[in-house]
Amino acid sequence: MISEKKIFQMSKINAIKKDCVITIELGTNAVRVFAFDLHGTLVGSARGSYPTFHPEPDCSEQDPEQLFITMLYVLKNFLNETVHAQKYKVVTICFSAAMHSVLAIDKNGVPIGNAITWADNRGKQEATTLKNSVAGKTIYNATGTPIHPMSPLIKITWMKNKDQDRFKKTWKFVSIKSYIIQQLTGDYVLDYSLASATGLFNIHTLKWDADALAHAGVTADRLPELVSVFNAAGKLRREYQSSLGLSANTKIITGSSDGCMATLGAGVWGEGKATITIEDSGAMRVVGKEILKDAQQRFFNYVLTEDYYVSGGPTNNGGVIFEWFAKQFGDFKYAYDIENCMEELINDASKVAAGSEGLLFLPYLLGERAPIWDANARGVYFGLNINHQQKHFLRATIEGILYEMYSIGKTLEEHRGIKSLSVNGSFATIPFCSQLIADIFNKPVSVIKNKSSVGLGTFLLSAVEMGIYKSLDDAAKSVAFAETFKPNRQNNAIYKKYAALFERLSTKFSAEFEEIATLQQKNT
Amino acid sequence: MLKNDCMHQFLLQQGYSKELQSFAHVIEFALKRNNTIQLNSFNESSCSSIRIYYILEGKFEWIVNDQHHILYPGDLVLIQPGHKFGGQKGVLDIGKLCWIYIEVNQSLPDERIMFGKWSCLPKIEILAIGKILRLCNTPVLSRLKDAGRIFIELQNEILNQQIGYTTRTNQLIDELFILIARKLTLQNNTHRDFPTSFMKLETTLRQNLSHNWTVEEMAALVGLGTTTFTEKVKSYSGFSPLNYLITIRIAEAIKLLKRNDLSVTDIALDTGFYSSQHFSTTFKKLTGYTPSDFRKKNISNE
Repeated sequence: MISEKKIFQMSKINAIKKDCVITIELGTNAVRVFAFDLHGTLVGSARGSYPTFHPEPDCSEQDPEQLFITMLYVLKNFLNETVHAQKYKVVTICFSAAMHSVLAIDKNGVPIGNAITWADNRGKQEATTLKNSVAGKTIYNATGTPIHPMSPLIKITWMKNKDQDRFKKTWKFVSIKSYIIQQLTGDYVLDYSLASATGLFNIHTLKWDADALAHAGVTADRLPELVSVFNAAGKLRREYQSSLGLSANTKIITGSSDGCMATLGAGVWGEGKATITIEDSGAMRVVGKEILKDAQQRFFNYVLTEDYYVSGGPTNNGGVIFEWFAKQFGDFKYAYDIENCMEELINDASKVAAGSEGLLFLPYLLGERAPIWDANARGVYFGLNINHQQKHFLRATIEGILYEMYSIGKTLEEHRGIKSLSVNGSFATIPFCSQLIADIFNKPVSVIKNKSSVGLGTFLLSAVEMGIYKSLDDAAKSVAFAETFKPNRQNNAIYKKYAALFERLSTKFSAEFEEIATLQQKNT
Repeated sequence: MLKNDCMHQFLLQQGYSKELQSFAHVIEFALKRNNTIQLNSFNESSCSSIRIYYILEGKFEWIVNDQHHILYPGDLVLIQPGHKFGGQKGVLDIGKLCWIYIEVNQSLPDERIMFGKWSCLPKIEILAIGKILRLCNTPVLSRLKDAGRIFIELQNEILNQQIGYTTRTNQLIDELFILIARKLTLQNNTHRDFPTSFMKLETTLRQNLSHNWTVEEMAALVGLGTTTFTEKVKSYSGFSPLNYLITIRIAEAIKLLKRNDLSVTDIALDTGFYSSQHFSTTFKKLTGYTPSDFRKKNISNE
């Protein structure tokens, strides 16, 4: 029995509100909201997904209003059910978002059509033209963003050429994050970090790049205002203060991109470290005070703060390829759904010897970005002999996805020494895959404790702004690791040979890739 | 197949055949063996009942709703009320087939299909089945052996009229519709790939936003039971099915509010809210703005 006096004391303790930080991640498929207390302990999280529309090939769009409403709905319920319910007081909200999105808005701030996401490839032609020109090289060196249809520079150029009506009507070209923050505060802002992924931003001067702007046919006043990732100037509009139950003093920090935040949240900071993220797609990244200068334009160099760059290479073909394999060849007789089926497949794959007895897979089903940057690349199973069974295809598929990551890693190592790796993302953190990464790279691999490195990274950024940590260096040191996978030397010896063959095959077929891609296009 | 051979040809028509007296909803029920090809014997026509054909022998080339289909034994063809249907070049090919026409009520404006009192199904299931039938984009269900069995049993019940035959006949018709609805959803959704099924459902919801969707209808379209469906939507999207629907409704309403050429009441009804009051309350709870204040804020700087 609890005495009345005790109840009184308990309610008194509860009445003292604890401060917390909310992070909002506007991801590719979903919005994820996290709450952390000021020690970085996770209070809770919530998620809500939104669709991507593909009305025609190469087109990839999202409805900005649905994103906003989904974010608002998830946030409101999460605040009521978790944050307010546990008597937390929200002191700061900080954002992160997927890179490369473009939304055209008119002079009333009303979206003209849907937002174009990173996966949209309609600017293929515009990208090829620019990439093969002298101007392309100058712009890449100034902006740090590879010339590719993903980049807003190319998207806006595409709109100028192919969707002139929308281009003319557009008052500003903003990112999805700028739009969402504007809905909440009234200001159109874009942080250096996301700006540095637009291909329009000079990463050396931290201003819009005159050459890139001229190429896209826009002036700086048609883009959002540039701010630091720590910017906290905007205030939540009164209406949202009341509907969300937040105070007028709640700090709204602009934040950064999901890629940069995943890197910070993975604790990868300083010399000798790199992080590998594999969800549907993936990337390998390093952090440093210098950019990577690559004559072949294979890397991105994104600005995190005035002092730090996140550099690396992205891949299209991550977990999405394994999911494709599972859908086509998985055994659904006993599996409840796709997740279940993929678990079974991972089990089966672990029973095949390293190297899949000589079956090699190039995973380029979606074309590829780093390091080959070949949109026409396609999947290949290579070395098939009469003894190969379905299980060899299975393991070869997983190994192929990771050889691709290794080939990004090798090009990165031409510029930076890498001694250890940290992995995150749903595919890379499957223990079987983490071990495989350790074996293929011949480097120790650690997995962070916190499941979402983007959420944690965004918290750490807020914590630096709030003075909880002195610097991002200090903040990154606080990241806790759960497990470390040590490389198996014997397997590494096998993988080394296949990885070298993989790399040669990837570039060998470029003419044939182009031909088959053309044939495939004619058939659809 | 032995059973099929025992079946004799027959043609029962409402108003002429006394066998159909107790079944006002059965407009026609027949089995036909076609041995000769005759010009203009099978021209395109449309009618207000649902027509279901089942192929027993032979190969048929038909035009259903302006689309060409080739049918083989075991295939079932479903012709929607009002859709045109006939043989290619007006000819009925050689073979054996059976069919039944069922009268249904279609209520305007949303063209909901309802069964009459004859059906033993609860209203909610009839609405869900009706929705599936109406949204089906392919009229041909291939290799539907169970439908053949139902046709044989229907024939036995209607022609022999043993005790309990009215109940059994109506049960069999219900069973036929359930079978068709299940096969249609299976055909449209592979269970391997919930995200794709969900994306299809989301498109359907957007196209019919003013419809008063129930969870049962949505689940039926994906071909799942309501409990499994709700669980899957929750784990995939983070929302319950009805809450997910609300996010689409409000997002669509926001777009219309910003356009400024529709009244708030029209927007409320177009996006599927019961009334402008219901719309305003939901909208304000989420955004802090009433719809009209939200509209003012977004066009005031014009």
